[in-house]
Amino acid sequence: MTAMEPGTKKKRISKKNKSAWRKTDIQDVEQFLEDQRQEERIGTFTEKQDEDLFVLDSTPLKAKPTVLSIKQKRKLNAKKPMRTFQPMENTSKVQDPIVKRNHVKQKKNGRNIEMEVCNPTKPRHRQANSDRGQYYVKMEQRLADKKSKKTNFDNDIWQDVDFRDKIPGLKDEKGWISRDLALHIAGNVGKKLVKTHASMHHKTIKGKKFVPPHPGMSYNPALEAHKQLLSEVVEREEGIIKKEQHLKRVTTSMFSKVTPEQRDERRLMELSEGMDEDADAKEEESEQEEDDPNDSSDKAYRTINAAVERDSKKSKQARRKELKQKELQRKTELKKKLKQQTADLIRIKSIRHELDDEAEDLNDLKKRRKQRAEKKKFEPKRLGRHKFEEPDVDVNMPEDLAGNLRNVKPESNLLKDRFHLLQKNNMLPTTVAVTRKKAKVKRFERNSHKDPGTSYQDLADRRRAAAKAAKQTQDTIQI
Amino acid sequence: MRRPKKYEAGEATQYISRRAAIRKLQLSLNDFRRLCILKGVYPREPKHRRRAQKGSSEIKILYHTKDIRFLLHESIVWTLRDYKIFAKKTSRDRAIKDFRNLKRRLALFPEIKLDHIVKERYPTFIDALKDLDDCLTLLFLFSTFPSLHLIPREQSNLCRRLTIEFLHYVIASKSLRKVFISIKGYYFQAEIKGQKVTWIMPHYYPFKPQSRQEVDFKVMSIFVEFYTILQGFTNFRLFHGLNLAYPPQFPSSLLQDNEDTFKDEASFVSDRIAALNFELLRTDKVQEDEEEPDIDMELLEQDGDSKRIIKMKQEAQEVSRLRTLFKGLKFFINREVPREPLVILIRSFGGKVSWDASVFPGATFAENDETITHQIVDRPSLSTQYISRDYIQPQWLFDCVNQRQLLPTNDYFLGETLPPHLSPFVDSKRDSYIPPEEKALHDPSLIETHEQSEEESEEDEAEKEEEEADQELLDAQLQLAYQQETAEYKKYGGPDGVNEDEEDLSEEDDEEDDDEEDVDKEDVDEQTKRKQQEKEKMSVQSGKVHKVNKRQVHKAEVDEHRLQARMVKPRHRNLFRKLIREKQTKEKEEWLLRKKRRNIDADTKEAKKAAKREARKLAAEAAARAAKLVK
Repeated sequence: MTAMEPGTKKKRISKKNKSAWRKTDIQDVEQFLEDQRQEERIGTFTEKQDEDLFVLDSTPLKAKPTVLSIKQKRKLNAKKPMRTFQPMENTSKVQDPIVKRNHVKQKKNGRNIEMEVCNPTKPRHRQANSDRGQYYVKMEQRLADKKSKKTNFDNDIWQDVDFRDKIPGLKDEKGWISRDLALHIAGNVGKKLVKTHASMHHKTIKGKKFVPPHPGMSYNPALEAHKQLLSEVVEREEGIIKKEQHLKRVTTSMFSKVTPEQRDERRLMELSEGMDEDADAKEEESEQEEDDPNDSSDKAYRTINAAVERDSKKSKQARRKELKQKELQRKTELKKKLKQQTADLIRIKSIRHELDDEAEDLNDLKKRRKQRAEKKKFEPKRLGRHKFEEPDVDVNMPEDLAGNLRNVKPESNLLKDRFHLLQKNNMLPTTVAVTRKKAKVKRFERNSHKDPGTSYQDLADRRRAAAKAAKQTQDTIQI
Repeated sequence: MRRPKKYEAGEATQYISRRAAIRKLQLSLNDFRRLCILKGVYPREPKHRRRAQKGSSEIKILYHTKDIRFLLHESIVWTLRDYKIFAKKTSRDRAIKDFRNLKRRLALFPEIKLDHIVKERYPTFIDALKDLDDCLTLLFLFSTFPSLHLIPREQSNLCRRLTIEFLHYVIASKSLRKVFISIKGYYFQAEIKGQKVTWIMPHYYPFKPQSRQEVDFKVMSIFVEFYTILQGFTNFRLFHGLNLAYPPQFPSSLLQDNEDTFKDEASFVSDRIAALNFELLRTDKVQEDEEEPDIDMELLEQDGDSKRIIKMKQEAQEVSRLRTLFKGLKFFINREVPREPLVILIRSFGGKVSWDASVFPGATFAENDETITHQIVDRPSLSTQYISRDYIQPQWLFDCVNQRQLLPTNDYFLGETLPPHLSPFVDSKRDSYIPPEEKALHDPSLIETHEQSEEESEEDEAEKEEEEADQELLDAQLQLAYQQETAEYKKYGGPDGVNEDEEDLSEEDDEEDDDEEDVDKEDVDEQTKRKQQEKEKMSVQSGKVHKVNKRQVHKAEVDEHRLQARMVKPRHRNLFRKLIREKQTKEKEEWLLRKKRRNIDADTKEAKKAAKREARKLAAEAAARAAKLVK
C-alpha cells in the first residue's frame, strides 16, 4: 500500500484496537515532513539559480536501441553458447587445486578445410586445391560467355577431320600405324569411334519430302484451282460422314431402345425363365397322377437309357441284305469313278483351262499383295496405339477470300501442321492428349449442415437481384 | 545341345519396347524422349508385331535394339543423368537457402553439346541441306513465339537470330527461286548448292495462342533445340562459302558514329541486321560484282542428248536473268504491307528498298524521294501520289519472281482487282490440260478474247479488227522474241556455235580487205566490180510459206515411235507400255477437257447472240410502237 493512485478511494479500516492503529499508513505524512526538513536544510527551488539546478549535457544522445528482427535475434542467439551446456559450465570461484592438469584434447569431427587450403600438407590437399582452382576458372569463363552472349557456332563441323590428329602419338607421317591399329588404340585410350549403322539414315516412308501446296491454297487463287480444292474437301468430308453413318447403323441403331421399366421387366422375365414352367409341369404331373394313380407304383424307378428290347435285334437275313447292299453301292461308285476318269480324258482341255484360271487368280492375288505392300510404303507406319489420320485440308471458304494481302484470313496452324508432318514421317508416334480426370469424391452433408441456411452464393444472388431491381427502377422514369 | 527357346532369336530380339529401352539406358521417360529426338532414333514398325513383342499382341512402341545399343555409347546420356543430380543438389540448396552455393551451381549448369550429333546425323553438308526444310519452317515459326510454358525466351530469340542470318545468306547468294503466298504463310524456295530448300514463313500477325490439346510443346521444343544447332552450323558454312564474316557484321564505313550508335551498339547493330537492308562485312576484300554461272555451258556441248542440254541452257539463262530482275529499281514499302517477305524478294534480286522509318529501323530513303520507281501499297486508295512512280500491290513482286520477268504493272495498280496468284510449284509446262486463263498468264499473246464486241452488226468487223490487233501483237512479240534471241546468241553463242564463227570469219575478211587496200589499187577496182556484180545479182524475192505435210510428219512420228518401241529392252517392255498408256490417257483427258471448254464457249456465245437478237427485236418493236403512237 505504498503508493495509492490519486483517484482511488481509500479503504475504510476500523480503528478500534491499538493494533488496528498500527496498520495505518502514515508514510505520506512522513514523506511530507521529510521533504519539508530537506527544504529547510538546503532551501527551495525558487531561491536557486538555473546553473545550480541544471547541468549542460555534453555527451551525445545515445541512439535508441533498434528493434531487432527475428532473424537478427536468431543470429545473436546463435553466438551464445548452447543452453544445454550451461549447467556444465564451471561457475565456482574456487580455483582448480591441481595446477598441472592434462587437458584432454577433443577430437574435432570433420577436417579443417581452411588449414588444408592455406598450408596443404598432403598431396591430396594439393590436388584438391588445383581442382578447385580449375573449377572456378571454368565457372568464370561460363559466366563471361553468358554475359557476352557468345555464339557457339565457331567452326565448320563438316570439315574432314582425322580422328588420329586428336590423339597424340597416333599421327604418323611414316605410315607405321595402320588405321585398324589406330582405331583399336583410340578405343582403349577412351576416345572410341562409334560407327553409326546405315539403318539410322534410312527413310522409313517413301515419297517426296516436300509436298507442294495445292494451288487452291493461294491467298488469291484461280477459280478452277479453288473449286478443285473445295471439291476435294467436300469429298473427304462426305467420306467421313458416310463412315459415321455406317458405324451408327451397324452399332447404335441395331438395338431397339427400351424404357427403364421395360428393361427391368425384361430382366425379371429372363431371370425367372423356367421357374413357372416347372410349376406348370408339376401341375400337369399332379394331374396325371390324379388321373391314374395305379401307375404311380410302376414309375418308382426308371433308367436313363431306353431298355434294350430283344425284338429289335436284326435277323441274319437282314444283315446279309445290308452287306449286299453295301457291296453294290461300292461297286457302283467305282464304276462311276472310272467313268469320270474316261470323261476327264476328253475334258482335258477344260481342265487345263480351270488350272489356268486358278493360276491366274493366284497371280492376281500376288499382284494385289505386292501393290498393297508398295502402297503401304508411302503410308505412315503404325508406331503406337493410335493410327495416324490425315489432318483436315486447309481451305478458305469463298466468302473469306479477300483477294488482297491485307485481308488474308490465315487458315492453318503451322505448329500443328509441323507436328502432324513429324508424325507422318514416322518420327513421332501418334498420341492423343489425355486430360487427367480428377478422382471422384463422394460428398456427404454433415448433419449439422443439413438444416437449410444461407450460403455465400445465396447472399450474392440476392444482392445481385436487388441491384438489378434497383437499376430497373432507376432506368424507368417514375411517374 | 541346348534346345532353343522361343523368342530368343529372330524378330523378337531385333526389337525392344520403349519401357525396356528406358530401363536399359537408365533414364527417365522424358530424358529418353529427348535423347531419341536429338539422336534421330525413331520408333519402328515390325513386320510381325506379335513376334516382335514376344507373343503379346497389344500395340507397343518399339525400337530397334541396335539403335538403343547405339544410344548407349552417347556421351550426352551422361549429361542427362547429370541433370538429375543437378536438380537434386540445387533443390537442396534452395530448401536450406544456401544461395551462395546455388548460384555457383547454376553457373555450372551441365549443358548439352550437340555439335558431334549434327555431324553424325548429317555426315555431309549436302545431307544437312536436304533436311533443312523442316528445320527452317520450325525456326521461322518459333521465332514469332513469345516465351511460353516449356518454350524458353532464349530459344525463340535464337530462332529469330538464325533465321535472319539465313535470310541474309539467301539475299547475298541470290538463290531464291520460287515464292508463293498461301493461306498458310509465305512459301519460299531457294536453290542452295543444287538442293531445293523450301520453307514456310508464317503470316505476320499477333501471336495466336496454341492449344495444348493437339501439339506436344515439349517435343516440338526439343526438335527446335536440335534444329537451332543444325541451322547455326549450316549458317556458318554458308556464310564462309560466300566469304562473309559469320556472326554477321557491317563494314565499318556503314556505321556512322552517332550518339544512337554509341548508346547501345549491340542492339543498334542487331536491329540493322534484322532490317536485311545492308550489305554485310566480307572477309575477302575483293567485291565481286557479277558472279558467273558456275557451269560453263559450252563444255557440255559435245556429248549427251541435245534436248536436255538446251533445256539446261534455258534454265541457266532464266536464272541469270532472274538474279538481276529488280536491278536498278527502287521500291518503297508502305506501312500496311508486311515488310520482311518483300524485302527478301527485292533485295535478293538486286532492287533497292526502303520503308517508313517509324515502322522498322534501317530505312535508307524516305517516301518523298523522287527516284523511287515503285511504291508497294495494299490499300484501296492513297491521298498523295507521285507521278514518277508506280503504285502497285505486293502481289506484283511475287508474280514477277515466279514468271522470272518484269510483268506489266497495270494489272496490279492501286485498287485494281488482282489477277489470280498461281502456285509456282505446279509445272506450267505439264502435259495435262491447262485452262486458257493460266496459259494467258504465262504467255500474254495467247489470250483468248471472249468479250465480243457490243454490237451484233459490227461483230464481224470487230472480229476482223481483233484479229488484226492479235496479228500486230503477235508480230510485235515475234520481233521481241527475235531480238531477245539475237541478244542471247551474242551472249552465249548459237545452239551449235556456228553462227558466231561465221560472224568472226566475215569480220576477219573485212580486216584483210583493209590491209589489201593499201597494197594494191587494182585489186580494189576488181573488188568493187565484183561487189557491184554481186549487188546486181542480189534481189529480194517473195518468200514462200513453208508448207508442212501433215501426213508425212505423222508418218515420221509413228515410225519413230515404232523404232523406240523396238529399242526397248524386253525387261522394260511393261514399263514402256505403261508409260505409253499413261500418255495416251493423259492426252485423251486433255482433249476431252478442251472439247468441253470449246462446247461451253460456243454455248455461251450462242446464248449471248440470241440474247442480243432478242434485245434488238424488242427494241425494234418498241420503236415501231413508238412510231405508231406518234402517228
